[in-house]
Amino acid sequence: MHTMAVIQRSVWALLLWPSLLTVSMPLDCKEEQGSLSGCTSISQEKLLDRVIHHAELIYRVSEESCSLFEEMFLPLPLRLQISQAGYTCITKALPLPSSKSEIQQISDKWLLHSVLMLVQSWIQPLVYLQTTMDRYDHAPDMLLNKTKWVSDKLISLEQGVVVLIKKMLDEGTLATTYSEQGLYQSDVQPEMLESVMRDYTLLSCFKKDAHKMETFLKLLKCRQTDKYNCP
Amino acid sequence: MCYIITYILFTVSVLPLCVVLLLFPSPSSHSLASLPLCHCLSAPLEPHFTECISREQETFRCWWSPGSYHNLSSSGALRVFYLKKESPTSEWKECPEYIHSNRECFFDVNHTSIWVPYCMQLRGENVTYFNEDDCFTVENIVRPDPPVSLSWTLLNISPSGLSYDVMVNWEPPPSADVDAGWMRIEYETQYRERNTTNWEALEVQPHTQQTVYGLHIGKEYEMHIRCRMPAFTKFGEFSDSIFIEVTEIPTKESTIPLTLILVLGILCILILIMLVVLTQQHRLMMVLLPPVPAPKIKGIDSELLKKGKLDELNFILTGGGMGGLPTYAPDFYQDEPWVEFIEVDGEDGDSGEKEDNRASDTQRLLGLPHPVSHHMNMGCSNAISFPDDDSGRASCYDPDLPDQDTLMLMATLLPGQPEDEEASFDVEERAPASSERSLVQTQTGGPQTWVNTDFYAQVSNVMPSGGVVLSPGQQLRIQESTLATEEETQKGKEGEESKETEEEKQKELQFQLLVVDPEGSGYTTESNVRQISTHPQPVETKPAATMEDNQSPYIHPDSPQSQFFAPVADYTVVQELDSHHSLLLNPPPATPMPVGYITPDLLGNLSP
Repeated sequence: MHTMAVIQRSVWALLLWPSLLTVSMPLDCKEEQGSLSGCTSISQEKLLDRVIHHAELIYRVSEESCSLFEEMFLPLPLRLQISQAGYTCITKALPLPSSKSEIQQISDKWLLHSVLMLVQSWIQPLVYLQTTMDRYDHAPDMLLNKTKWVSDKLISLEQGVVVLIKKMLDEGTLATTYSEQGLYQSDVQPEMLESVMRDYTLLSCFKKDAHKMETFLKLLKCRQTDKYNCP
Repeated sequence: MCYIITYILFTVSVLPLCVVLLLFPSPSSHSLASLPLCHCLSAPLEPHFTECISREQETFRCWWSPGSYHNLSSSGALRVFYLKKESPTSEWKECPEYIHSNRECFFDVNHTSIWVPYCMQLRGENVTYFNEDDCFTVENIVRPDPPVSLSWTLLNISPSGLSYDVMVNWEPPPSADVDAGWMRIEYETQYRERNTTNWEALEVQPHTQQTVYGLHIGKEYEMHIRCRMPAFTKFGEFSDSIFIEVTEIPTKESTIPLTLILVLGILCILILIMLVVLTQQHRLMMVLLPPVPAPKIKGIDSELLKKGKLDELNFILTGGGMGGLPTYAPDFYQDEPWVEFIEVDGEDGDSGEKEDNRASDTQRLLGLPHPVSHHMNMGCSNAISFPDDDSGRASCYDPDLPDQDTLMLMATLLPGQPEDEEASFDVEERAPASSERSLVQTQTGGPQTWVNTDFYAQVSNVMPSGGVVLSPGQQLRIQESTLATEEETQKGKEGEESKETEEEKQKELQFQLLVVDPEGSGYTTESNVRQISTHPQPVETKPAATMEDNQSPYIHPDSPQSQFFAPVADYTVVQELDSHHSLLLNPPPATPMPVGYITPDLLGNLSP
């Protein structure tokens, strides 16, 4: 499973190679000496703090969106059904640690890469969510605004993580936004209920993963400041 | 019949409802339902899970209940199985750790995964009781432990003294790994008054301190705090309560009027003091800064007596109309910067005081009514004219002397009685002016005759016969005007009075010495001096001469002055006291008749 995932990922990376240039923005001004825009570089600690702050906000807004959606669109029975479905989330396949003990065993590098993977795998689905939600008749503006906001913030989060990787790990740019677009490229207009259920699943999964992202980043920060007491 | 139909209808309508409700119990997407809503038809309660809780997002526990199946309540009758949906091929596994006493299944760190869905089921012998409600992810069942180490501090008290603010501090629960960032925790503080039931809940916030505003003084408050993860819904247990009470504290208000009163009191006292000072300025000045005796001579301007003008003074004294002072006068002056003068003045109403006993003495003292003016110089200069009597010296060093307003006749007047010098004097205080100066006046002739001398003469000695010997014998001025003030002194007469009865002393008058205060200042001006000098003749007293305020205490030119001592005699003998107890000097017809002492100068003038 792991190899399959890796292959899948690499395929997507190759396919989406051109998007790299457009998506990734130069955040590190040191590389562009002759740039006209006077951008200032940022220290690693501050960048990490900002990234964590982003992740916290994203999680909070996603939770609010999920609750809103639940109230609006899901009757009581449906919620039960979905909860026992077990969250067939899209990121299930990602090789991510799922407990504190597991996290303790992985390195900083891997932790950061996990975050990046998560972020990158959610960008597209959220964009897709925007389109489907627009089709709803009674979608409240607040919900739409929140999902839009989350979608935008996720993109900037990804950029931040990329720069962080570059700074912390001295690696080259690896900004690949891949997603399992295949799932969401159906032209068939799904049924309302199905659509609702799918969207709700999406939102719930994203909420979970946002919490995961936030936790990973905080543990990473702990490791940066105090290596001995951190998991 | 109707009843049966209605009953059937009722059951028909109700049954599906119950069935539906049973099949779809109250949904809560991430938590286990506690109990079915509907108990209708008394459906037996299946074994189920009551709750699953994680305290620190690392382990979790689940509790179950046999429900109404009491035969399954024994331990081991029911078994717990869980499914960890990590992969599509996951299987149901049995509870890793049972705690049968609690009917609890504990999942330790190794068996707990976050962000992974778990499903729980109970299995009996052949029956599986599975509730779809019992699926969850661990982060959604986290209920953090309550905070610890609650404490409070008083922030402030309102100005009205009725309410106060309090800051509550605490520590995060030790089980939650907040420092590492594994969990974030938010706190909710609740408080209530001691005997009330409703709790006031404050807003959830992530800091480990909380300010509570608007508590009332005198009331006791109970406070507790609980935790939850941010953006999650489940709170943990409440912490132990702390009790806050602030009793009445004496507020600053009570001190404000006190300070006001103090300030006002001090101000009033200050104003009073100022008033006192302003109104009683003179007296205060007298008390605090008593006037310093300075040399003053009646008839001589005080200016002359200041430093550096001694020559002028000498000139006046020597070359002035009265004749020159003896040569040692300047010396005398130089030695003693201050002198006191006594004026002998005829008293106004003391005629009645004349004693008969003194007649003999006065007779002796009183002689020809030739005015002889004496200048008696009190003070330290006594010694000069008193070669063999040191009585006067004692007075020199008496510190009281300059301070007293009393006239002091020189001790020379009364040899052998120095001790009475001060005590014998009983002088009325003069008008508020320098009164150190007094002139001795002798009265010659009638009771109205006054002798007012501008210059002073020292009474050198008192003759046993009663005469008073004056040294530098000055020309005496007879003052015809009444004197403004009267001073009495017993001094001069004391020597003779010693033989007298005590009445004399009681009368305070041996002879009266009047203090002449022509100008109220005790001494004359230059104009007067000149006047004096131009009239160097003893004035014969005019009867009933009254003293004027502006005083012309000087000899009138028309007074017969046939006899006059052109050269200055050294001394004059006081022959007698007249009825007014004035010294009457015995004017020699042409020259003074010294009895005791005579200088060679005067030898020629002496008439046998």
